[in-house]
Amino acid sequence: MSLIAISADSYPQGLDIAQRTAAALGYGLLGRELLAQVAADRGLPQEQLVQALEETPGFFGMRTRRQQELLLHIQAACLERLLADNLVCYGLGAHLYLVGVSHALRVRVLAEPQQRAAELAALRGLPPERAAKLLERQDQERRRWSSQFFQADEMDPAQYDMVLSLGNLEPEKAVEIICDAAGYRKFQAMTYSRKCLQDKALAARVLAKLMPRFPDIRLQASDGTVVAQVQSLKRDQRKKQEAVRELASQVPGVSYVEVQVIRDYFGQAAQSGR
Amino acid sequence: MTSIPQNQPPAVGAGGQAERTRLAERAEGIRRALVERPRFSLRLQMYLGFLAAFILSAGVAVALVYNFHDMENKIRFLEIVNDYVMEVEQARRFEKNFLLYGSNLSDALDSVFQAEQILTRNAGELAAVMGPGWSQVMLPKLRGYQALLERLGRLQGAAGAQGGPARQDLQARVRKEGQEMVSAALALLSKEKASLSTTTRRSRQILIYSLALLLVVLVLNAYLLGIRMLGSINRFGEYANRIAAGDYTPITPSRRYRDEFTDLALAINAMIQELENREAVLIQSHKMRAVGTLTSGVAHELNNPLNNITLTAHVLQEDYAGLSDAERQEMIADVVQEAGRAKKIISNLLDFARETGSQLEPLDLPHLLQETIDLAANQIKLLGIKIQLQSSDNLPRVHGDSQQLRQVFLNLILNAIDASAKGGKIQVIVVPADEPNYVAVKVIDFGSGIPAHILPSLFDPFFTTKGRGKGTGLGLSVSQGIVAKHGGRIMVSSQAGQGATFTVVLPVTTIPAELGEGRHPEPANRAKA
Amino acid sequence: MPEPLEVLLLDDEPIVGRRLKPALAKIGCAVEVFENPEKALARLQEKEFKIVVTDIRMDDIDGMQVLEFVRERWPESKVIMITGYAMMSLAREAMEKGAFDFIAKPFKPDDLRRVIAKAARALGYTLDFEAAAPEGG
Repeated sequence: MSLIAISADSYPQGLDIAQRTAAALGYGLLGRELLAQVAADRGLPQEQLVQALEETPGFFGMRTRRQQELLLHIQAACLERLLADNLVCYGLGAHLYLVGVSHALRVRVLAEPQQRAAELAALRGLPPERAAKLLERQDQERRRWSSQFFQADEMDPAQYDMVLSLGNLEPEKAVEIICDAAGYRKFQAMTYSRKCLQDKALAARVLAKLMPRFPDIRLQASDGTVVAQVQSLKRDQRKKQEAVRELASQVPGVSYVEVQVIRDYFGQAAQSGR
Repeated sequence: MTSIPQNQPPAVGAGGQAERTRLAERAEGIRRALVERPRFSLRLQMYLGFLAAFILSAGVAVALVYNFHDMENKIRFLEIVNDYVMEVEQARRFEKNFLLYGSNLSDALDSVFQAEQILTRNAGELAAVMGPGWSQVMLPKLRGYQALLERLGRLQGAAGAQGGPARQDLQARVRKEGQEMVSAALALLSKEKASLSTTTRRSRQILIYSLALLLVVLVLNAYLLGIRMLGSINRFGEYANRIAAGDYTPITPSRRYRDEFTDLALAINAMIQELENREAVLIQSHKMRAVGTLTSGVAHELNNPLNNITLTAHVLQEDYAGLSDAERQEMIADVVQEAGRAKKIISNLLDFARETGSQLEPLDLPHLLQETIDLAANQIKLLGIKIQLQSSDNLPRVHGDSQQLRQVFLNLILNAIDASAKGGKIQVIVVPADEPNYVAVKVIDFGSGIPAHILPSLFDPFFTTKGRGKGTGLGLSVSQGIVAKHGGRIMVSSQAGQGATFTVVLPVTTIPAELGEGRHPEPANRAKA
Repeated sequence: MPEPLEVLLLDDEPIVGRRLKPALAKIGCAVEVFENPEKALARLQEKEFKIVVTDIRMDDIDGMQVLEFVRERWPESKVIMITGYAMMSLAREAMEKGAFDFIAKPFKPDDLRRVIAKAARALGYTLDFEAAAPEGG
C-alpha cells in the first residue's frame, strides 16, 4: 500500500531498477508511456513533453512558460494515476511533486559513474574524457531545471527518503532494499496522505488549466476547495476574479473557488507613469 | 469571495503613514530651529581674529614711523644748533684775540655772520622745534652781539689808542653778551639731546609693549577659536556615540548662532532620519518573519475549531429532521462559538503583524509578556513545550513602545523555543533588576546552551547558528537596537549543556503617564481583519 | 442487529466527542468518549476497545503515548489518529508506531466512519456503513 518514486541520474539504469522493483513487488509501473496518453488526451505533441522533462530552458530552447505548462499537464496526469496505490513511478519527475505525501517513498538511484559516462559516450559518439566532462555539465543543468520548475534541487540527497548508489550496490540488492523499505510501516498509505495526494492532483489539474491564461497564478487545493492568488491591477480585479473562478470551476472535482487578488503594485506604478 | 488582500495594504499603511508625517514635521521643526539662528561662521571668526592682529600691527608700525620721523627732526635740529654753537664759539675766540691783540675783528664778525646765516637758513626747522617765538630770543641776541662788536671796532678805529672808560665798558658788555649767547646755545643743545633720548626710549617701549599686546591678541584668538571648534567636535563625538548606541533623537540647537557645525548637524540629522527609516523597515520586516514563524502554529491550531464546525455542520445536515429544536440550537451555538474561537486565534497575530506607529507609554511588563506568550502559544503547543511566567508583585511600569518590546520578547521566546528540545521547558521571569530603577526580564531555556566562543558575536548582525534559510541572524541585533532605544540592554549568560538566559534590563517609568496622544485606531479595518 | 463495536474516542475538544458519539452509533459503534487522556488510559488499562480514536496534541499526555500504550496493552486493537497538527513527519511517526490510520482535522463524520468501517473489516466485523448516509455519503 504505497508509492515508490524513483529518480536516477542515468535514465536506462534507473529504468532498470524501476522495472525490477515493480516486478518484485507486483506493483504497476508508471513511466514515460504515460506521455503518449497525455499527448493524446490533451492534444499536445509528445516529443515536446519529453523535452520538457529533460531540457533546461535555454536561449534557443522552449520558452519557460510553455515548458512549465507541459510539466503541469504531466504532473496532473501522473498524480491522477498515482491515486491508485501500489505503483512505481519513474521518469516523470514525480519525486519532485510528491513532497509531503507520506506514503510516497522517494528514492534516488545514483548510476555507476563509469557506466554512465560510457552510455553517454556511446549515445553521442564521444571519447570517454569528453563524456565525463559533459556529465558534470548535465548535472548542473538538472540542478537548474529542478530549481526552476519545482524550487528544489534534484541533486540534493535531503530531498529523498533514500539514496542508493549503484557504484556500491548490485542492482538486485538495490531492488531488495527498496522493496524492504516499501514494506516499512512509515511508508504505508493512510487517509491523511491520500488526501494530500488528492489535493495535489486537484491543484495540478486546476493549475494546468489556468496557467496558460494566468501565468502568475498560485494556488492550493483542499477537499475540492481551490484557493487561487492572482496579481491584478485594481480596475481589472473583479473581471480577473470572475475569469479565474469560472475557468477553475470547470475542472472536475472543484466544488468551491476562492480567488485572492494581490495588488500588482509594479503594474500599477507602470500604468500611472504613462 | 474574499476582500481581505485588497483591503490590507491601506490598513497596514495608515498608522505608519500618520506616524511618518508626524516624525517628518518634527524633523522639519528641528531643522528650522537649527537654521533660523544668526549666522556667525567659523570662517568669519578666523577672519576677525586675524584682522584684529593686523590692525594692531599696523598701529604699531604707524606709531614707530611717526616716532622715527620725530627723531630725525630732532637729530637735524641738534646738528643746526651744534653748527651754530661752533660758529658762536669761533666768534668769541676771535673776539678774545681782538681784545688781546687788536686783530681778527673782521674774522669774528664773519663768524657771527655765519651763525646768523645758519639761523636764517634753517628758520623753518628751528621754528618747528622752538615755536614761532624763537627769532625773538636768538636773533636779537646775535644781532646785539654783532652790534656791540661793530661799535667796538669803530671805537678802536676812532680812538686808535688803548684804554678809555667807554671802551672798557664796551668790552665788558661784549664779553657778557657773548657769554650769555654761548650758554643759551649750549643749554638748548643739552635740552634737545635729552628730548632725543626720550624719543628713542619711547620707540623701544612701543616695540616691547606692542609685541606683548600682539601676543595677547593672538592667544585670545586661538583660545576663542579653539573653544568653539573643540567644543563642537566634542559635542559631535558625543552625538556619534549616542547614535551608535541607538538613540536617534535629532540634534537640537545648543548655541545662539549658526555656523559650519550647523551644516554638519543638519547632515547628521538627515542621516539619523535615514537610519531611523531603515531601522523601522528592518524592525518591521523582522516582525513579519516572526509572524511567518507563528503562522504555522496558528494554521494548525485553526484546525481544531474548524473541525468542530465541520463535524457539527455535517451532523446537523445529516440528522436535521431527527433532531429536537434544543439540540439544533445547541449545535448552532457550538458553530457560532467555534467560529469566534477561530477568529480569536488569528486576530492576535493580525494585530501584532499590523504596522503601527511607535508610541511610548507606561507598560505593565508581566501583562505585556503574557500577551507575547499568548501570541506564541500555538507554536509552543505545537512543540509540546511548557512555558512559565513568573513576576514579582508591584513591579514599577516601564516606559516604552509596546509593539516593539513585544517583538523583542517574542524573538527571545521563539529563540528559546528553537533551543528547547521537544517537550522542554521555558521560564520567563520579571523581577526588579540589581541596579535601582531598572526592571529585568529573563527568558530562560534549558536547551543545549550557547558555546562560550560564540557568546561575544551573538548580537552581531547576520550572525546565526540556525541552518541556511532558517534564521537571518538579525533577530538579536534588531532586538538589541530596540532595547537600546528604550535605554536598556540585553545580556546573555549560558553554560554549555545548561541552557541559556537572556536578560533584558529596562529603565522604569519616571515621567507620569502620558495620556491623550492616541494610537491610530482603525476600527473598520480591525473588524475586517 | 450485530454485536456493537466498542470504540474509545479521546479528544480534548468536547465538541468532537459530542458530535461523533451519535454519528458513530449510527453505524453500530458503542462509543465511550474521553476528554482527559489520563482517564482514557486508565479505562484502556482495564478494558479492551477494538477501536481507539485519539487526538495527538493534548496537554500532559500525547496521543502518541496513547498509541504506544494501546499497541502494548491490546495489540489487536486498531488505533486511529486524528490531529489538527498534521505533518508528514508526524504521520510517518504514527504509522511506524502502529497506527491503523491517520486523519487530519478538519474531517467529515463520514471520513471517520469510512475508516472505522475499514478497521472493523480488518477485525472481522461488518458495519452497516450505509446506515449513516441516507443520501449516499
